[in-house]
Amino acid sequence: MNKVAFIFRTPPHGSASGREGLDAVLATSALSEDIGVFFIDDGIYQLLSGQDPSLVLGRNYAPTFGLLELYDVDNVYISAEALAERGVPAERLAIDAAVLSQSELQRRLADYNVRLSF
Amino acid sequence: MKSASLRFALLVTGPCYGTQSAADAYRFARALLQKGHVISQIFFYQEGVHNASQLVQPAGDETHLQQAWVNLALEHELTLDVCVAAALRRGVSDKDSAAQGGLEQWNLVPPFRLGGLGSLAQAALSADRVVQF
Repeated sequence: MNKVAFIFRTPPHGSASGREGLDAVLATSALSEDIGVFFIDDGIYQLLSGQDPSLVLGRNYAPTFGLLELYDVDNVYISAEALAERGVPAERLAIDAAVLSQSELQRRLADYNVRLSF
Repeated sequence: MKSASLRFALLVTGPCYGTQSAADAYRFARALLQKGHVISQIFFYQEGVHNASQLVQPAGDETHLQQAWVNLALEHELTLDVCVAAALRRGVSDKDSAAQGGLEQWNLVPPFRLGGLGSLAQAALSADRVVQF
């Protein structure tokens, strides 16, 4: 069975990519516990707490990332560089996950032979 | 020397017109089959669901990508899986889902097929190669 990594790299507003990526993660978690979830670049905005997407007629799905733990998705990684570049402290994120350096992130990502990007 | 044949799953996330992504996916699918590889699944997700609409009408001298997918599927006995949640939100429905939603029209017919994300997950976990467009 493949090891599948889901890479979030787009912000929660502007496109539905993050929302649909999250749906794909949750569906895949039902079939495998060996999946990884990575937040890089603007993808770290997906996890910001206190979002109000109703102002742009969107649905607030950020709390749904909290389901990852419940669904036994334990390998969740956040780019330290992406947080620093955007001035976002890890405390402002809605979930607790490993914040990794670029080199460590790349090393973890290399463990996965399938990578899907959202 | 003949290289070993691989089972590919393709994930199409671009629309049938406006960006190149779905056209590239189609060309890649054709190239794979020509090289003797196997396509285990083609899954249309996000904007990719628009490839399934039979109401698209390209200009006469342009590629009709929806029809091209249909021909590919018929020639090689492939199924074309379309994420139901992504499709319904974007106005792509089959007869049953249209009826359930109280709509009088639908625009998705076989070999396109509405289904859940479970089949994408299955393909991502089991194919030799997974390529996203």
